[in-house]
Amino acid sequence: MAIKTWELDPNFRYEIASMPGGENIMKCFQCSTCTVGCPISELVSTYNPRKIIQMSLLGMRNEVLESEEIWLCAVCQTCSERCPQDVKISDLMGAIRRIAEKEAHKGNIKLKAVRPIFEEAFMHQLEKYGRLYEMGLSMEYYKKAHGGLISGMLAMQKDYQKLGMRLFKKGKMGPKSMLPPKIKGTKEIKKIFKELGD
Amino acid sequence: MAVSKLAYYPGCPSESHAIEQDMSTKAIFEKLGIELIEVEDWNCCGAAEAEDPMMVYALNARNLAIAEKDDLKMMVTSCSVCFYNLARTNEAIEGDEELKGKLKAIDPALEYKGSVKAKHVVDVIVNEIGLDEIAKRIEKKIPVKVAPYYGCYMGRPSRLGFDDPDNPETMDKMIEALGGEVIPYSQMKAKCCGGPLMMTRSDLAFEMTKNLLEDAKAKGADCVVTACPLCHMMLDAKQPDIEAAFGIKLDMPVLYFTQFVGLGLGIDPKKLGMNKNIVSTKTIEEKVI
Repeated sequence: MAIKTWELDPNFRYEIASMPGGENIMKCFQCSTCTVGCPISELVSTYNPRKIIQMSLLGMRNEVLESEEIWLCAVCQTCSERCPQDVKISDLMGAIRRIAEKEAHKGNIKLKAVRPIFEEAFMHQLEKYGRLYEMGLSMEYYKKAHGGLISGMLAMQKDYQKLGMRLFKKGKMGPKSMLPPKIKGTKEIKKIFKELGD
Repeated sequence: MAVSKLAYYPGCPSESHAIEQDMSTKAIFEKLGIELIEVEDWNCCGAAEAEDPMMVYALNARNLAIAEKDDLKMMVTSCSVCFYNLARTNEAIEGDEELKGKLKAIDPALEYKGSVKAKHVVDVIVNEIGLDEIAKRIEKKIPVKVAPYYGCYMGRPSRLGFDDPDNPETMDKMIEALGGEVIPYSQMKAKCCGGPLMMTRSDLAFEMTKNLLEDAKAKGADCVVTACPLCHMMLDAKQPDIEAAFGIKLDMPVLYFTQFVGLGLGIDPKKLGMNKNIVSTKTIEEKVI
């Protein structure tokens, strides 16, 4: 793939560096230590954190933000731990993902992964109840990731029926878990989301 | 014993799929005579899904502030992800008056001075209470071969963790003190299980966990011992799904660290929630002497 230099965004690196977690991106000297030790790169040959950083530094904003790869990081911190330049790659990927989410919300780009849908559904539960409501999370996630309530429920059943039965039999998913675990301080949690939510 | 009273942050899975970790944690602290005071009306730490660090600080400041008001100096949690989020909140808040002010401005409930140390339950048991103190109270031996699985946040990032980032040993020492034999597992013990990708890229998460379990089995482990509800979910609750996906048989019991310690302290397996693990732990219980 040839890089069209006239399409590069020279400000992208500063945009990332201004986000919490992205501060050290410009320290990267492309040694690949991050990629060599990455448990995801080991399984997915196209996943290359070094390359994502270099593309970002070059200003390939859309290519980076729309790439599926930024959603593959499991935040295991192995790269951050080993990076000789203290780039904090795990946190940096989070900063890039946040920019991608914001741009997608504005309709400027299209995301190719389902993980942002999952993260959003997770945060919705937290905002509403103060704790994780697993049932609500699964319902919202499957509905949105599979294009509708019915197709979502069918997909959820396929993925989780057996696990659900297993947990139910061991008393880990009783009637109590069907109801949200609302905490008393939900007002405080809602205020946090009002102030900090995107 | 240095500690007699601790704030306890159970984390969301404690009420559902990690109930046996909650049960066994409470049981061993009771046995050791240490009072656990649950953080009243605690909220979720944000897990791996809160991508904005400010959001993580705000959510965790509320929990830490509750313990601070109770004048508790140390908070123990049995989830590695919760530990990571609590610890990095403390790190960010320390000496940063501007951040403290910002949090307080969101809601008075987030006013937190930074006086509560956040600790992982493994760290508290092995390093705060101490191996010597536990050794005095050991009632049973557990002569089984163990693959100790640490996952990510006990050692990484090292500025927050309490063990080596690549080759952690805290659990190994305790397992050996309880009569267990630790198998050579250093290539796997701190390698990610893929937990955060469980819902969105289960193909990757399954393969990552399969590799951990297969290696433990190949090295002759009788069980895996772990101390994080997300890792445990992958290793134990998902094990039958992983077996089906790859057409393999694993049958590998996965105990929480607190269950293993509890067995050594002579606590009734039922009280440790041993009947709640998905893969049967009977073979391990039978070997306790």
